Amino acid sequence: MRKRIRTSVLNEPLVQGLFLLVGLLVWSTGESRSQSVNKLLNFENLTVDTARHQIYYEQRLYRNPLIGLLELAEEVVPQGITTFVPLFQGVPIAGYQLGSGLRTTTLSGNDRQRFNREHPFDGRAYKFDFRLQPEFIAQFGFREQIVESKTNLLLQSQLYISRGLILNWGVLFPIINRLDNQALNVRPAPTFLNQFLALNGTNFMSLSAGLFYNDQYGVNVQYRHADLTKRWSYGMESGLTGFYFFPPNGFYYETMKNVLLLADVAYRIPGRDVTLKLSGGQYLYQDRGVRFDFIRQLGSVEVGFYVSKTGNGGSGGFNFAIPIAPGRIFQTRRLRLRTTEEFRWEYAYSRGYNMATRYKVSYQLDALLRQYHTSYLQNQYR
Amino acid sequence: MRAIREIFLVVIGLVTGLSTPLWGQINISGKSGLMYIPSADVQEEGTFTVGYAYSPSRYAIKYNRTNSESIYFISLVVLSRLEINVNLLRPNGMAPRSSVGFAAEGIGDRQIDLKYVFMTEKTRWPSVALILSAPFGIDNSLITNALVATKHVKLSKIIDAGFTVGMGSPYSLYRSGVKNEENSDIFTGYTLKDKRDKPYYYLAGPFGGVNLSVANKAGLMFEWDSQHVNIGLYARLVRHWTLQAGLVNGDQLTFGTSYSLNLLQLPKRLSAKHSPAK
Repeated sequence: MRKRIRTSVLNEPLVQGLFLLVGLLVWSTGESRSQSVNKLLNFENLTVDTARHQIYYEQRLYRNPLIGLLELAEEVVPQGITTFVPLFQGVPIAGYQLGSGLRTTTLSGNDRQRFNREHPFDGRAYKFDFRLQPEFIAQFGFREQIVESKTNLLLQSQLYISRGLILNWGVLFPIINRLDNQALNVRPAPTFLNQFLALNGTNFMSLSAGLFYNDQYGVNVQYRHADLTKRWSYGMESGLTGFYFFPPNGFYYETMKNVLLLADVAYRIPGRDVTLKLSGGQYLYQDRGVRFDFIRQLGSVEVGFYVSKTGNGGSGGFNFAIPIAPGRIFQTRRLRLRTTEEFRWEYAYSRGYNMATRYKVSYQLDALLRQYHTSYLQNQYR
Repeated sequence: MRAIREIFLVVIGLVTGLSTPLWGQINISGKSGLMYIPSADVQEEGTFTVGYAYSPSRYAIKYNRTNSESIYFISLVVLSRLEINVNLLRPNGMAPRSSVGFAAEGIGDRQIDLKYVFMTEKTRWPSVALILSAPFGIDNSLITNALVATKHVKLSKIIDAGFTVGMGSPYSLYRSGVKNEENSDIFTGYTLKDKRDKPYYYLAGPFGGVNLSVANKAGLMFEWDSQHVNIGLYARLVRHWTLQAGLVNGDQLTFGTSYSLNLLQLPKRLSAKHSPAK
């Protein structure tokens, strides 16, 4: 009897979610029936500045910004566009000119103010974008259970509220849990607000608040100084978080007591798309230490190797970030269903207790900005 | 005499005129090489490879004479001269039980190896590479600490001979005293070990071989793996998929397969118009 009640609780949000999706689908296909199939549908918030031969656009489909840029170029270069300004959460990143090579111009504070004046933010310029995001948390090497893993599938979306400000939300469908004793209940995916800020051409911030990944809730602030045409960059990150999780019927949380305080300096080898990054400070659970990363960007993929040494132990391993095929599954002017453009995973060689651990927000500023570095795009274009 | 000189010049011309070659043949631990031995070749920058190899029981490296072994691997040419390779070695079937009472297999031996080509191939000189296994393994058996040289010679328009000689170090660093469950610091517990102290071991001492490849599509291999003579064949079925098989010491069969793709390639619809040769 008890089991039956539980099953119905399990299925209810799933059914509701499906109804919602089908409803949205019917509504949006009805609306877009007259629209021709168009490559420009891959882009959002497109605005053309004919006087300056510029185009502003946002694309959330491809992990590699160059793919979006070249796809758009095919459509608009014949119309005299020379400068491409990709937006991230509605905020311009930098200007890119395509010619025999690729040139990057950073945007000054004045450029940004002018853009904001001329293009008031409009959330309707964005699709209802649903992303299928797998999540795989694992530990290896324990003999009783050689792979302790937790696998989930997340259906995520982003709600654009104002310039730079979005709400990340979604539904989490658990698949396997052999890691901890959390039940396999369908539950809200990490839900949090994120404000992306470009202070001028070279200073950026990311502010987050809400329920993050890895069972931590609270606030997270990241700052980064990064000139997208230069080799050196540095940044800081701080956070105050606490543990939370969704049991089958309700919400459990503890007080916010985990202080994260990290600083890093990174050097880029432009010809090789390699970033060397030294970071350190306090990780979760008052574990203090340093970490060194070697990061290589390869097209749509990023691969890294690292070592870390903290009070709780020493570790090393590798990580990667890859897009998950097939990418776009279905899209109209208003709605899109696709697989994630970024699945990130890290393998640690040693299994210890809380070594240099951290939680995840939707993006790390350094990882986001190096995707827009002039040398990374240029090396692929030339 | 003059004819020989002319042939030699033609060969040199062909060798130097080669555009970036693709040496798709992968050894037992996932490195460019022959069957059991690695070579100094690396694939094109950005090449990602995933594969499997089978080592028969009498030549199994860790579970010698008790189990045959499966080796799963991935590798990535991170920089044009640097290949990083991660492999996992598992026994096939039930492994002997260890004293602690659990099956001795666990998840298997995980190993990270680096191959750095510090001298690329020239008209007269071979390429030379140093291969090192990350020293933080606890009980790895595929440890490859070796110095290796490879020289390719064009024998005809389509036949390429790749000669490899190398030296495998019997010495390696382990963290032998560390138990899996207490593995909380990869910077402690280092011990110098001699592979030859074990009844069976991998790649210690001089090794060498030749890989005769036909149009970069199929080939024949002969090697001395520091202990035995092995003979093998390989073929590339579709563009990126290689199948290989060999006879170890004239006794038992080994086989493997691997799939490679280049991560630096843009999607076809875009690369046609924006290729470097534009």
